Amino acid sequence: MLLGTLDMLILRTLLYGPAHGHHIGKHIQRTTNDFLQMQHGSLYPALHRLERKGWVASKWETAPDRNREFKYYRLTEKGRKQLVAEESQWKRMTEAVARVMWPTAEES
Amino acid sequence: MRWWQLRRRDADLERELRSDLDLEEEEQRELGIPPEEAHYAARRAFGNATLIKEQSREAWGWAPFERLLQDFRYALRQMRRSPGFAAASVATLALGIGASTAIFSVTDAVLLRPLPYPNPQQIVRIWEQAPDGHTMNLAQLNFEDFRRQNHTFSSMAEYGYGVESMTGGSEPVRVTVAAVSKDFFTVLGVNPFLGRTFAADELLPHGAPAILVSYGYWKQDLGGARELSRFHLVMGGTDYSVVGVMPPAFDFPSDTSAWIPSELDPDTGTRTAHNWHGIGRLREGATLAEARADLDTIARRLKSHYGRAVDLNSAAVIPLADAAVGDVRTALLVLLAAVGTLLLISCANVAGLSIARTSARTRELAVRSAMGAGRGRLVRQFLAESMVMSLLAGIAGILIAGIGVRMLPAILPANLPRQKGIAMNLQVLLFALAITVFVGISLGLFTAWRAGRANLRNALNAGAHQHSGSSGVQRLRNALVTGEIALTLVVMVVAGLLGRSFWRLIETNPGFRSDHLITLQFSFPPRVNLPDTGMGKAASASTVLQVHLIDDLLSRLRALPGAGNVGIAGAIPVAAGDNLADGEFLILDGIKPPSNFAEWDVIDRNPDHVGHALYCVASRGYFTTLGIPLVRGRLFDERDGLNAPNVAVISESLARQRWPNQNPIGHVIDFGNMDGNPKPLTIVGIVGDVRVRGLDLPPGEVIYVDYRQRGMNENSMPTILMRTNTPEDQIIPLARDVFHQLAPDAPVAFTSFAEEMGGWLADRRFLLLLVGAFAASALVLVSVGLYGVIAFFVTRRTQEIGIRMAIGANRSNILRLVVGEGLRLAVAGVAVGVVVSLLMAHLLSSLLFGISPADPLTFSAIVLVLVLVTLAACFIPARRAMTVDPVTALRYE
Repeated sequence: MLLGTLDMLILRTLLYGPAHGHHIGKHIQRTTNDFLQMQHGSLYPALHRLERKGWVASKWETAPDRNREFKYYRLTEKGRKQLVAEESQWKRMTEAVARVMWPTAEES
Repeated sequence: MRWWQLRRRDADLERELRSDLDLEEEEQRELGIPPEEAHYAARRAFGNATLIKEQSREAWGWAPFERLLQDFRYALRQMRRSPGFAAASVATLALGIGASTAIFSVTDAVLLRPLPYPNPQQIVRIWEQAPDGHTMNLAQLNFEDFRRQNHTFSSMAEYGYGVESMTGGSEPVRVTVAAVSKDFFTVLGVNPFLGRTFAADELLPHGAPAILVSYGYWKQDLGGARELSRFHLVMGGTDYSVVGVMPPAFDFPSDTSAWIPSELDPDTGTRTAHNWHGIGRLREGATLAEARADLDTIARRLKSHYGRAVDLNSAAVIPLADAAVGDVRTALLVLLAAVGTLLLISCANVAGLSIARTSARTRELAVRSAMGAGRGRLVRQFLAESMVMSLLAGIAGILIAGIGVRMLPAILPANLPRQKGIAMNLQVLLFALAITVFVGISLGLFTAWRAGRANLRNALNAGAHQHSGSSGVQRLRNALVTGEIALTLVVMVVAGLLGRSFWRLIETNPGFRSDHLITLQFSFPPRVNLPDTGMGKAASASTVLQVHLIDDLLSRLRALPGAGNVGIAGAIPVAAGDNLADGEFLILDGIKPPSNFAEWDVIDRNPDHVGHALYCVASRGYFTTLGIPLVRGRLFDERDGLNAPNVAVISESLARQRWPNQNPIGHVIDFGNMDGNPKPLTIVGIVGDVRVRGLDLPPGEVIYVDYRQRGMNENSMPTILMRTNTPEDQIIPLARDVFHQLAPDAPVAFTSFAEEMGGWLADRRFLLLLVGAFAASALVLVSVGLYGVIAFFVTRRTQEIGIRMAIGANRSNILRLVVGEGLRLAVAGVAVGVVVSLLMAHLLSSLLFGISPADPLTFSAIVLVLVLVTLAACFIPARRAMTVDPVTALRYE
């Protein structure tokens, strides 16, 4: 996975509401039709990194369906701004790449 | 997050991963996978949990710190595992660091710290310089020309100082008083702590007498009262009003208790009486070289204008900080070098120990690196271990240094400038920290470098024993020990040369007997005013009073039970060395004695009629008490009364120098420039030479005059000498009583001559003691190092020794093998050490006396000592080798 995109994907996922690590991983995997295989090895360090930066906050809460406590992450205000920033950055980036890759499409 | 939350954080992470992992497992089961398989499937999906944990921890940003903690924990565990090695290493390093820190504290206070004045680099000392390069204090008129004509100084001042008796405080005291010229305090940039400096009407000839006192004198003798106007101090019959108190830190010239204006009692104004010390402050932007050139120009102008009437032809300008330190610099640098060498030796010793340990740990290291510990990680580990060791050693070293600094004042020579500032301050602690860290890092890198060379696979395959004996390790340890021996030899040579010089000095015949001598230094009470120096002013009234008092004192002291010989002089030889005045005298021989300075100057221009000598007022008893032999003619006797023709006794060296192959007796000389008495002197006797200026200098040429004819003058420090077999503590109270009865208001100080001598030798003894201690420590360290290496050699060769014995080698063959190995190291180390010492010893020459820096006796004695120590270090391992049982040895593997 492209460096830095994981953070964005996590933040985007949390836009739907608080979720725990496993949940987030599964969600990204499912949404991309298993195209992006979530490695736990990078997911958890990424979550902790985001937390350290203050973009997400965590809290132990009981899952409604499991009757057990999980560590739920939720988007903070700072994280929301970061998501917007990263998203527009990403957009500009893909557009730029697209212009190089498919120049005719752009001309038309 | 803070680092102390790490532990909780860890638990949290653990819980998070577990709950998510359980969830994964549940989901797998819900998909219909059998429980057993679900468990593993979940784990597979999750991947390496430990790795996840580690990487998550990295994300917290405290990983490097955590790793460091881990390294240090591990290092401590390693030290606990081999406490002997740890203790030996820490103790060795602590010795080196402690000694270095203590010596640094002295160097810092004396050499490095700036002087306590604003812009101290601008302050310089100024001298006249003779054509032969030797420096002289300033003569009044030359100083005035320097001051008026220079372009490079913002201010310039002169000062002189001496011991005076002073009354008016809580009790009469003998204190150092400095006479200072107008800009003295401006040059130094110091203002009084209380009151003011001298006002214009106090800076005039015969102006209102004013005095500034030191903080210490003010506290002690004036009771620290803030109202100064009521204090009047009396010196030499003059009443001075106290106008100010200098700040506590102000101590210039050293140990001065009071300052008076030099203008009050104006100098006679000559160009050859070098009475004044000069200081100046450079103008903003002026360099030392410019100032030197500036004053040189003035000096040359004076020379060309006055010719033989001046002694100078150039000027010397030296920063005050350097001038104050003077000869001490070499001694301190030698000390610093010696202690640095000691530190190096202790590091080499610990390096040798840790090589031995690292090779024993080779397998452990190999396993660690097989498990994936990177090179950097291992280096970090070694660094952590050596840092822990050196930090412990640093703490112990600082404690040692603290004790050392507290004990130093007992052995510091009194003439060491600025020693009051010696303390364990921030600078010194930073120095200790710096060497601690430096030692830690270099030892760590060294060990890591050694360990890095070990071949991983070989190490894993080989048995531990086999590997710990690798010849590479032995070679390196040998090299270290050889280096240690060389360094030790250098320090020992320095100590040896200093020691030999010291003995030479003590053995030097001073020209008199110094045992059982008691000295009584005193000042005349105010009613016996000192006569003024200056031509033509006879001060006979005062001389008569003096002579009466001295005669009374001497006869009463002689009458004490067990008094022995008693004599008096205007100074004591050797101890206070330079306090005999010296100058030119005239050989009259028929010429009419000069009646004023102009006439004196005329005769002085003819070299045939001029000699140079020290001037000493003495009594007949002085020669008999000190045991100075009469060589020819006679000593002073009853004939030499106040009104009889004045006589002189001269020293043998003066006779040889000024009247070679002649009989000086009967020649008439004039030395009135010394005491203001114009009566010529007839030479009546020649006495043996005395090393008046110090044992390390050749005997001085002296002219002795009789106190009954000339009296003591202001160049004298009246001193009564008694040689007695009665113990000091019995005779001194009796003598003190005599003084109290005859001159209750005269300050007097009693000492034994041995003490005075000791004071003079103190700086040499100090240096010798410390360098000697360092040399002894180095010797101990090197013998431990040697022992370690030889023991290692024997362990490594146990099998070989067993085989040799099995095929018929006897014990003496084995002994030769082991001792031969030791001697091989010693010879290599000694050879290197001797070469280095020979190259460096000449740097010491200014500290040596009577021996050459390449003194063969010192060198051979030290080589012998080192060889003996080597043999001793081989002894225990050799004994073990000789008792090796061949059968056991062959199974040793």
